Amino acid sequence: MTDLAPLTALGQSEPRHARFGALTLAERPDIGLASLALRRGTAAPQPFGLTLPDPGCMASVQGVEAFWTGPDQWMIAAQGRAAEDFAAAVRQQAPGCSVTEQTDAWVVVEIVSEAGGAALLALAEKLVNLPPASLSPGRATRTGLHHMSVFVIRSGDTRLAVLGMRSAAESLWHALAAAAHRTEI
Amino acid sequence: MTRLKGGLIDRSKTLSFRFDGRIYQGHPGDTLASALLANGVRLVGRSFKYHRPRGIFSAGSEEPNALVTLRSGARAEPNTRATCVELYDGLEASSQNRWPSLAFDALAVNDALSPFFAAGFYYKTFMQPAAFWEKVYEPMIRRAAGLGKLASEPDPDAYDHGFLHCDLLVIGGGAAGLAAALTAGRAGASVILADEDFRLGGRLLFERHTLDDAPASDWVARAEAELESLPNVRILRRTTVFGAYDHGIFGAVERVGDHLPVPQTVRQTLWRITASRSLLAAGATERHIPFAGNDRPGIMLGGALRAYANRWAVSPQAKASDRVAIFTSNDDGHRTALDLLAHGVPVLAVIDPRKDAPRLGEYQLYAGAQVTGAQGRRALSSIQISQNGRSEWLECAVLGVSGGWNPNIHLASHHRGRPAWSDAHQAFLPPADMPPGMRVAGAAAGQGTTHAALCSGAETAQAALTDLGLTATLPDLPQAEDAPVAQAAVWHVPGQGRAWVDFQNDVTVKDIALAHKENMRPVEHLKRWTTLGMATDQGKTANVTALAVMAELTGKAIPETGTTIFRPPYTPVALSVLGGGDTGAHFRPRRLTPTHSFAQEHGAEFVEVGQWMRAQYFPRDGESHWRESVDREVLAVRKGVGLCDVTTLGKVDVQGADASEFLHRIYANMMGTLKVGKVRYGLMLREDGILYDDGTCARLAEDHYVVTTTTANAGLVYRQMEFARQCLWPELDVQLISTTDAWAQIAVAGPKSRELLSRIVDEADLSNEAFPFMACAELTICGGLRARLFRISFSGELAYEIAVPARYGNALMARLMEQGADLGVTPYGTEALAVLRIEKGHAAGAELNGQTTAAMLGLGQMVSKKKDSIGAVMSRRAALEADTRRLVGLMPLDPAQKIPAGAHLFLPGAARDTASDQGWVTSACYSPHLESHIALGFLEDGAARIGSEIVAANPLEGDECLVTVVSPHFIDPEGERLRD
Repeated sequence: MTDLAPLTALGQSEPRHARFGALTLAERPDIGLASLALRRGTAAPQPFGLTLPDPGCMASVQGVEAFWTGPDQWMIAAQGRAAEDFAAAVRQQAPGCSVTEQTDAWVVVEIVSEAGGAALLALAEKLVNLPPASLSPGRATRTGLHHMSVFVIRSGDTRLAVLGMRSAAESLWHALAAAAHRTEI
Repeated sequence: MTRLKGGLIDRSKTLSFRFDGRIYQGHPGDTLASALLANGVRLVGRSFKYHRPRGIFSAGSEEPNALVTLRSGARAEPNTRATCVELYDGLEASSQNRWPSLAFDALAVNDALSPFFAAGFYYKTFMQPAAFWEKVYEPMIRRAAGLGKLASEPDPDAYDHGFLHCDLLVIGGGAAGLAAALTAGRAGASVILADEDFRLGGRLLFERHTLDDAPASDWVARAEAELESLPNVRILRRTTVFGAYDHGIFGAVERVGDHLPVPQTVRQTLWRITASRSLLAAGATERHIPFAGNDRPGIMLGGALRAYANRWAVSPQAKASDRVAIFTSNDDGHRTALDLLAHGVPVLAVIDPRKDAPRLGEYQLYAGAQVTGAQGRRALSSIQISQNGRSEWLECAVLGVSGGWNPNIHLASHHRGRPAWSDAHQAFLPPADMPPGMRVAGAAAGQGTTHAALCSGAETAQAALTDLGLTATLPDLPQAEDAPVAQAAVWHVPGQGRAWVDFQNDVTVKDIALAHKENMRPVEHLKRWTTLGMATDQGKTANVTALAVMAELTGKAIPETGTTIFRPPYTPVALSVLGGGDTGAHFRPRRLTPTHSFAQEHGAEFVEVGQWMRAQYFPRDGESHWRESVDREVLAVRKGVGLCDVTTLGKVDVQGADASEFLHRIYANMMGTLKVGKVRYGLMLREDGILYDDGTCARLAEDHYVVTTTTANAGLVYRQMEFARQCLWPELDVQLISTTDAWAQIAVAGPKSRELLSRIVDEADLSNEAFPFMACAELTICGGLRARLFRISFSGELAYEIAVPARYGNALMARLMEQGADLGVTPYGTEALAVLRIEKGHAAGAELNGQTTAAMLGLGQMVSKKKDSIGAVMSRRAALEADTRRLVGLMPLDPAQKIPAGAHLFLPGAARDTASDQGWVTSACYSPHLESHIALGFLEDGAARIGSEIVAANPLEGDECLVTVVSPHFIDPEGERLRD
């Protein structure tokens, strides 16, 4: 175990939280991420028991999620597994696939609503150019947000995760927090 | 006071407001215009060119005259239409384009000089001398003529943007729009109903017509309540849909806080609306009839007169006994007279050019007559009526003018659709080639009666939904007036005096006649010669009339004369809201390196590199100039060891059975032959053979590579690689993903770098034999942290780059500093990085500027002939092969003399011109190692001219420097240090 102390994408030792009315924004540095791409002619595996989802969709099984990122390519996300070599774990689950470590490539901001899904949609319409169907539970879409490329993942009715470039974490947080702040007034 | 009874204002509350310093009162529901009229204020502005007194002309967004500056200080907003400003308590407005005061404007002298200011005046008068235009004439003209002035302070308010999607976008909330929204909303379609007004109802609010024998506002309220109750309908009030763009996208501005004394949270929101179908129900704009002196305050559109009386309970008389006249070419104008009479306003007469004009009520009718003159300097005092060859002047304070209606088809024409002339309507109707998915209903489609508007709204919505596979039932619509409106085509009243066509730009019938005489006949020329239809109102009340006048002059029909075309925005849109609210540090995303905290703690100065904020240098106490810091950092690397965050270089993870073949085709040089555990420098070419990126490629396993790109081209290279993978060679088994942000990468450079790294790696053997130059390995450091080590050098020294998961980057930097204290370890920034690479003669962005070839860098042999790769064939075309410019080093004869970066290279004594140009300086710096300024550059036959002298000149600023041509490798040309 290394004695180097990690920093979150937002540059602190502890993840950032903020509350705006019914909405809570939380940085999630604990999520381990790895991309999984099929090699030519190979069948899709079922890592951690996940059925790899169709374009624009996500799937989850016991704390592990998968979402579509491109043709024959998915991101596998697991809560609480950022500190380990998660890519190695995925590689074991998906032999013969191309797996790449992505944990620190992204900042994950999870937005939870205590006022139902409508509050999340009201926030999302100020952030991303997506029709409501692309934001329904179980959907995951790559899109632009304030000139940044992000994934928007609706993992549940009251839960929305935004994945953005780690290096732009501050800009992403600013955009999300400013929009969330405006919804509470 | 000229308040009437009734109206849709809340008299239980009083609002105070200020205009030109005077305090007035109004009520909720008023606009600034209605409140000013209610207070007897008739003079509200001065005209653009002649500074003539002007009053409120309309009751809507077409207003050409009543432009005021709203608010003050940083919030001051010029050119605001008083007719569209919702009154709030404490509102502050001032008139524009006058000095010293609105009542006495010194520049009104322009009016007396008007014969000199005819059409094309600027073009004719300010021809000579040409050099005077920019510095003398234009500033002078801009000072004299103009509208409001911008606040010079930054806008303190917040702006927002957002995205909406719907099945049907209904633009306009009048009779047609409400019927359409009800039809579509009840059918379950997702509907957005947008209206620029703060109250739904459109013209229904302006009329006395009943719907089902009740005031129209009752039906509007019921419809509004029902729409509010439908979860699939969204009503956007105070929202102007200003443009129709491609793919069913519309731009709209919602004025969220403009009606509040101080805008809360956001002032305006820019909505990008994506609509499967759209329905334009924007109504129609009334046109006037130009006659001599028709611009005097008190003369306004007849429909506006009616609107003020019915909605706002205002008549623009100075006192209740003042008489009002109507000049109309159609039956609709007579309704205005009836409405005014119903409100108890004394009607002097209705003047109608039609000999058979009907008399619809108890008023004096002048049939077959025209208004031929008007008097009254700051407000109308009398009009001249001419009938059967006889004229008489009658006292009159207010004149309503009704010349017919122009459908508001602007958005239907935003894709260049040409409006279609209708003789029956005497107006332009929507074009056949509208934006895809758009339909037009109501008065905008020429359906002028209330009954027709309601029906067409419902039926058009039903048709739009049918397109989408949705079934809609037509709603029960209220009984409404459906009287036909007869009209005559009267476009202007011929006469001697000046008859204004375009009030905002002071364009008269005479100006159009002059343009005709001077052969500026196509409407496009007419517009530019006279300035007709320009500025904030874009000719909403002028264009069609001007076209008709020109048609009369040319003897052609209106559609033969030309047509008008519309472009976004429909009404002015503030740049602040188009910016979407992101200003200052948040104007664009900023990317921070993993060691940003470390750099901040060590006092780094930062520099923007693309979106990245990189440490430029790390000043220490006692260093007063950036060069001192940079020189120290450079020497520390050359003598000991330095650390630089190089995370910003792009990293692309390449895997797959065909990864080697793929990279063979991507890189110009051989890459697939690279051995596992090795790194190679590579060049990438564009399709046209020009260099576009360079970097290293590391092979981590048989089927796994990491490609490194320059910082600037990280996104571009990844995109090009993905394009090649998906589109050029889909048969190859290759998988790509960016890992730029995933790994923090730190350059550890200098003769003591091996010593330093050996202190943090867990078990690896870093000896030259075990880990030679251009080796790479996956290993662990600092007690088990996975890392990647590359032995590569940008500085020319023994050097490495070490990568760890990004979250550990900051701690690794601190650990290296701690472990290397006795080695003199020094953090260095991008400036030192640049000096080091210039000293070594390594190319960077300044050399790879999109004009250079591999041969120019002296790397022509790297473009392999043993295989094909992107750009290889084109790099061998004659034009590129013939280019003899080569990368050279340049040293000034005087070491202290700076070589200007970007300077061009000339033979001593040659003319400093393009013909004599022999190349250019790409990068320049001071080399603390050589104690001399140095530079890199491209020079014709450069390789053969080592030792010769040449001039680096910057003729623009007069800088010159005599330099000696040397090898571009100022440091260790044999490359021994980096292999040591």
